[in-house]
Amino acid sequence: MPEDIGAIDPNWAWSTFKPSTEQPWNRRLAAHLCRRAGFGATSRELNDLVKQSPAEIAHAFVENAKQASQRDPETDSLATAMLATGNSQNLAAWWLHRMLNSPWSGGEAASTSPLLEKLTLFWHGHFATGAEKVDDAEMMFTQNQLLRHHALGNFGAMTQEISRDPAMLIYLDSTTNRKAHPNENYAREVMELFCLGEGNYTEGDIQELARCFSGWEVRRKKFRFNKYQHDTGVKTILGKSGKFGGEEGVNVVLNQKALPRFIARKLIRFFVFDEPAAPEQLVEPLARLLRQSELRIGPVVERILASNLFYSQSTVGRKVRSPVELGIGLLRCLHGSTNLELVARGLEEIGQAVFYPPNVKGWDGGRTWINTSTLLGRSNLIGQLLRHETTRFAGNNLEMLAQQNGVSASDKLVAWLDEQLLAVPFDGTARAGLIDVVETATGNKSQRIAELIHTMSTVPQFHLA
Amino acid sequence: MTTRRSFLTQTIGTSAVVSLGAAVPEFLLQAGVAASQPNDETILVMVQLSGGNDGLNTVAPFTQNAYRKARPTLAVQSSDALKIDSSYGFHPAAQGLSRLLEENRLSIIQGVGYANPNRSHFESMDIWHTCRRKTAVRTDGWLGRYLEANQSGQALDLPAIHLGHEKQPLALSSQSIRVPSVKSLDRFRLKDQSKKLSEAVTRIGGTTSSGDDLLGFVQSSTGSALSASQQIEAASGNYKPGITYPDSGLAQKLKTVAQLIDSGLKTRIYYVTLDGFDTHSRQAPAHAALLRELSGALESFVTDLNEHGHGDRVLTMSFSEFGRRLKENASEGTDHGAAAPVFLAGNRVAPGLIGKHPSLTDLQDGDVKFHTNFRQVYATILDKWLGVESAPILGGKFASVPALQS
Repeated sequence: MPEDIGAIDPNWAWSTFKPSTEQPWNRRLAAHLCRRAGFGATSRELNDLVKQSPAEIAHAFVENAKQASQRDPETDSLATAMLATGNSQNLAAWWLHRMLNSPWSGGEAASTSPLLEKLTLFWHGHFATGAEKVDDAEMMFTQNQLLRHHALGNFGAMTQEISRDPAMLIYLDSTTNRKAHPNENYAREVMELFCLGEGNYTEGDIQELARCFSGWEVRRKKFRFNKYQHDTGVKTILGKSGKFGGEEGVNVVLNQKALPRFIARKLIRFFVFDEPAAPEQLVEPLARLLRQSELRIGPVVERILASNLFYSQSTVGRKVRSPVELGIGLLRCLHGSTNLELVARGLEEIGQAVFYPPNVKGWDGGRTWINTSTLLGRSNLIGQLLRHETTRFAGNNLEMLAQQNGVSASDKLVAWLDEQLLAVPFDGTARAGLIDVVETATGNKSQRIAELIHTMSTVPQFHLA
Repeated sequence: MTTRRSFLTQTIGTSAVVSLGAAVPEFLLQAGVAASQPNDETILVMVQLSGGNDGLNTVAPFTQNAYRKARPTLAVQSSDALKIDSSYGFHPAAQGLSRLLEENRLSIIQGVGYANPNRSHFESMDIWHTCRRKTAVRTDGWLGRYLEANQSGQALDLPAIHLGHEKQPLALSSQSIRVPSVKSLDRFRLKDQSKKLSEAVTRIGGTTSSGDDLLGFVQSSTGSALSASQQIEAASGNYKPGITYPDSGLAQKLKTVAQLIDSGLKTRIYYVTLDGFDTHSRQAPAHAALLRELSGALESFVTDLNEHGHGDRVLTMSFSEFGRRLKENASEGTDHGAAAPVFLAGNRVAPGLIGKHPSLTDLQDGDVKFHTNFRQVYATILDKWLGVESAPILGGKFASVPALQS
């Protein structure tokens, strides 16, 4: 470990990062920001970003994401086409398309942003709902739009809405929430996984909250309140008593002191480092900010992305790339396009089928992404993407991409890819090895570059972000 | 057994070993050493028979009037039955099971089930998988809980593998361990078109020396992955089954399992399924085909494992979510029932019938009653085969059944 995370001064950690001669603002750091805040950046995007300050960029990213989150989702024609097939797996390709094609530059024309998609993915893992059980692409799409709409907004409003979301109600069995037999599944997850974390409630609190949700149903793919099945009696949740309905019950949970810490901790793990668990003193300032901003997520994300800690040795290279970050990231950085249904299937093979989280806990992330079969699968997927007949780079091929960026010579090419793709730079020996790969590979120039990228992305260091 | 030298040769080629000399990267060496240690841990292979296997026609009480009367078209005739003893016999299609029994490699645990049997496929399967009823939270399964209890410091190799196209069985779910569902062996092969990828990765990946925990973890995992790929590649190229497996789906899956075991993977749990046992109508031909597939596959598997020297350390268990109704229905089929036999196959089973065949006259809602809780079978396997304490995994202490050699 380069430094002891427990010894980091929280004031320093969350203060705004100011580039210095020791740590200048450059393409490599900008690439780090874009990997974490989204799915990487093209070389041209990095050139634009190094002209601004990290703090300005963090602010712009959050503003662009906010604006994009308020666009009318009905106008998404690709989504409409995918929904017509009624297949949630096709919906995955639609979402990957958004991740791959969202521009960092923002502006009026941008109806989506990489940060917005990244946060939507975060909330999809947080409020995990599986399409297998829901078995309705339209409901999964509706939920996805709900998460996108609230991704940087008020966490309380998002939780209230997700509590009435048909896909969620089906996934956590709330549709069988009858007065005589309240189903505790959703009530339990609201406290354990969505808002508070274990140890901050009792089994009794769960049973009482479940009573608040009695009579909440789904009819014709819409939420419906069935007053005949609602328990109108007094409930006592977390020390508060009243004739609570579902919304009031959720509000009791939302007002708990444990909530901002729980969410802040999860945001740190997602954006900053997988391990170790962030110590309390690092969580607290973000929890305070979340409380002060009345549970708005945007300010906390902006604080994280502009911070000293975010750009420090404790953070860079301290996350394992998720499958989506790996696959979409590689394509996005190299200005690539391909058959995204193929990508969606490939990502499923290596453990991350979007719309199909493994269970209500979502993806555990970190080291759990890595095992024998996923590592081989990662390499095989990248090999397939690089060489697939539908794949294009820079609208053409890898040779063209290298030419456009003025990196045709092997040493320049390796340095260029290293800067864009690797969190921690390769040392001289490794670079020499990579130059040797591209020079001794067989085939035409594009094929040789493909071999180089395939090798780079199979090397252990590549899996760290 | 793979030596370190031969492992390295397989992995990165002879010339690479020579040229690298003493500078073989540490992360690969560790993986190599791990791969070359003798592997003598016990292994459990689960064969799930989905749909509700008709236990009464698998182990048939062919002498009993109540049986012949209840099954005018379906009863296994005394002349056809493959005799286990003078009163019970296998369905004539189950020749493989009969031969395994003759070799003392099959244990038949009779009357296995649970109280208040549920006759829904999903519900009953969930009960077998989780050991819990519907009213409880069921996010993990008994094997998942075993994996968690048995976690070692280094979770490098695959602790369990589910082989098949179907959804992963809930039995393998746990809070912290993800079990891969593998559709084919391809998942364990590095697609290395240039034949140089593995070597280059080894050379380049090992040069950044670092005390970093996370990087160290990915490095050693990569070493394991490349070594597994090489071992499986070598195994599938040269793997010679000790017997010709039948050309059935289950047999081919079990052949793959045998190959994975022989390749030196440290996986201790394998899970495969055979579907189609829900024989509500015209049961006779369908059930015969299924039993032929099951028994042929099991026999080949056990024989093959013995040919490769793994016979003593692999135990195979087959079970179904329930048996079927004693009385056949009007469509020459049978409906959902309750208790049924469980099979254990392997060199170290206590061979023969374990426990009584359930009574055909003392029924509950038309079904034979269980006398052995399925959790007793699990407890036997956990305590005596896998060597872990069963009570925390099963949610209580269950007496074992004498189905394994002591």
